[in-house]
Amino acid sequence: MAYISAASTISHQPTFKNAGFSALLEVLGESSALINPEYKEYIDAGLLRRMSKILRMSVACAKECIQQAEIEQPGAIIVGTGLGCLLDTEKFLNNSITIEGLLPPTSFIQSTHNTMGGQISLSIGNHGYNMTHTQNTLSFEHALQDAMLLLAEGEENILVGAADEHIEFLSEVAHRLHVYQEKQLTSGASFFVVSNEKTSGSLAKISDAQSWGLVSNVEDATAKFLKDNNVDLKALDLILYAGNLSEFAEIDTEKCIDYTDFSGIYPTASSFALHYAVDSIAQNKPIRNVLIYNALIKNNLGLMLVQSLEA
Amino acid sequence: MDNLKEDLKKQIIEQLNLEDITPADIADDALLFNDSGLGLDSIDALELIVLLEKYHGIQVTNPDEGKDAFKTINTMAAYVQKRKG
Repeated sequence: MAYISAASTISHQPTFKNAGFSALLEVLGESSALINPEYKEYIDAGLLRRMSKILRMSVACAKECIQQAEIEQPGAIIVGTGLGCLLDTEKFLNNSITIEGLLPPTSFIQSTHNTMGGQISLSIGNHGYNMTHTQNTLSFEHALQDAMLLLAEGEENILVGAADEHIEFLSEVAHRLHVYQEKQLTSGASFFVVSNEKTSGSLAKISDAQSWGLVSNVEDATAKFLKDNNVDLKALDLILYAGNLSEFAEIDTEKCIDYTDFSGIYPTASSFALHYAVDSIAQNKPIRNVLIYNALIKNNLGLMLVQSLEA
Repeated sequence: MDNLKEDLKKQIIEQLNLEDITPADIADDALLFNDSGLGLDSIDALELIVLLEKYHGIQVTNPDEGKDAFKTINTMAAYVQKRKG
């Protein structure tokens, strides 16, 4: 069980510092672009000049979450990313094949997957547990499970989130990404502060999060997940999904929303769905039980059960 | 010499991605690694070494040399001139 006390997302939707955004979402069009906040309000100019898109998004969301949660320091920083810092990786690789002699160090230093966690830690002076999970489309679910294990051990106020960035090269190899549908490839970052105790600032709770690689039967896995949490499929008020729901015979399609219509596609888009669920619960009281069903890649399944504090 | 200093300022701005800074904002005698100057750090020092090789064909192999050379635009220009002989 994890109580969410802060949530922040930068995406192609008006999500950042905008409680109630879930009512304002529009299906992405070809002209949609990442909506960037004024990063200088969150990041020192000396650091900002080196930061690529994914780093700016991650640090800004992380700092916004810490402000929202009114905590000085999180007990741990846990990040999920499917493809890591692609802009810097591409830049470094291009440098290494085009430049003779010394290579500029910045893009190399910032090309590793754990740069987001490191930069967040440096920018707030945090010396706690710092972990990055990269498991393709299940990266965020793995990060969240890590956070929930730490909460169960007594850790308080964990900053957990995910980010991925789009570069043009991804569009060229989109057919090799094995995502279920061909939709716009995008960038996004979502971070949360989760705690093991309910407070006056709690927005919703994550009752469970699980993931399966090489899943054989998604309907059985989902049924067991819900049964373990004493929630009936019919008791779900909202199902935010990515992938294919056609294998579910008894599902009420009116309750189902494909969140990639709004987030676009990136490996950790399920973190966008979590913020979407939290905002829906906080703004729309009848919504109590939300299932996030992440089958963005057919063989991977991630499930999160998000509930209102009263559920 | 003045042209060289101007070139160095432009190259530093590009190499270090110094947003919102123009060559006119960098005084010739401003300390590059001090907050009163540009406030550069150790990663920037590595970028300056790359810059000298990339634009001027100079390899800085002696760390002590770099320490003095990278103090200001004046010292960088003097170092470049000396190495190019």
